[in-house]
Amino acid sequence: MEKGHNITIYLLILFFASILIISSDLPVLAHKVIIFAWIEGDTVFTESKFSDGKKAINSQVLVFDRNGKQLLEGKTNNKGEFSFKIPKITDLRIILNAAMGHKAEWRIPESEIKEAGGVSEKKRAGGSSQPIAVGLSKEEIKELIDESLDKKLKPIVRMMAELQFKGPSVTEIIGGIGYILGLMGIAIYFKNRGKKREVNRDN
Amino acid sequence: MHISEGVLSAPVLITGAVLAAAGVAVGLKKMDSDKIPQVAVLSSAFFVASLIHVPIGPSSVHLILNGINGLLLGWMCFPSILVALALQAILFQFGGITVLGINTMNMALPGVISFYLFHKFVNQQRRLLPLAAAFACGFLSVLFSGILVAIALVFTQESFMSVAKLIVVAHLPIMIIEGIITLFCVAFLHRVKPELLGGIYGKGS
Repeated sequence: MEKGHNITIYLLILFFASILIISSDLPVLAHKVIIFAWIEGDTVFTESKFSDGKKAINSQVLVFDRNGKQLLEGKTNNKGEFSFKIPKITDLRIILNAAMGHKAEWRIPESEIKEAGGVSEKKRAGGSSQPIAVGLSKEEIKELIDESLDKKLKPIVRMMAELQFKGPSVTEIIGGIGYILGLMGIAIYFKNRGKKREVNRDN
Repeated sequence: MHISEGVLSAPVLITGAVLAAAGVAVGLKKMDSDKIPQVAVLSSAFFVASLIHVPIGPSSVHLILNGINGLLLGWMCFPSILVALALQAILFQFGGITVLGINTMNMALPGVISFYLFHKFVNQQRRLLPLAAAFACGFLSVLFSGILVAIALVFTQESFMSVAKLIVVAHLPIMIIEGIITLFCVAFLHRVKPELLGGIYGKGS
């Protein structure tokens, strides 16, 4: 009897160990939705994905200001992307409503928007296509650097976006199973302690 | 099928938490010390199952395994699923702490229902009936969960029928796969340890 019990447990452990191995081979992992937003020039770009890498297409995106007033709303395209011009210089709360009770949020602080907005304002005023004079003013140099930095940093921002969409790691999975086994130990300890006490009382 | 944080209103969250707490209390009461390893193993299976994503269908869906949890554990699937969901929320950020109650409720209640519906059939010494019951158990548990999620979401702005339809259609592949998994588990246990399929609350297997 006791032996049979042990075998079952071993086989069940084997069963979920094999599940673990299969799952770590899959390129995609499960079930959370994430929105990531960044600023380029005067536009906010957002990208939305489920944590298994599947894009959240045709999902509602809401943008709120600091006081919770809705500034605009839109839908993600079939790449899970949605972009909008900065509507107002304030803290932006961007909320993604994917169906079936999935929701995610991304915040952009005011300072970030101020910087970005400032650049584009100046650009519009000055006109960046002007022939460059021999002596550059401080502002013009700053503007040029900002522009090229934007360009150069684009792949890095992309990479950061990709990193946001990483699923759970093997460490976390194994850690979770460890927690469950630990809880099992605690539960058995307390149950057995109760039993022992009863036995002692009976004696 | 994890509902995210911040989607539901407080009354729905509290109702879910209270019902889940009641279920967990019943489950813990029924849990003998020799059942604890079994609960832990099935809890681990549930914990890991959510990482197995099925790339069929329009949305992002994963295995749930609440059918086999319910079938083998009865009311004890409440604590089992609660622990697994809590760890998923903490480690993977699936769902969340405030929605833990309602999510536990949505996953575990169908397990308990299918326990009462099917546990009489799966331990019979016939050929097809236990297997058919096992398949139905896996299939229907996911279906019930989908319906419960839709009910929970009614209280947000979404309409019941459209959400229910969406969830059920998205989880159709999962229902079939879970049915098959439950079927194989039952077939396997029949050969190795049929007592597990019988009275889980019975005379200490």
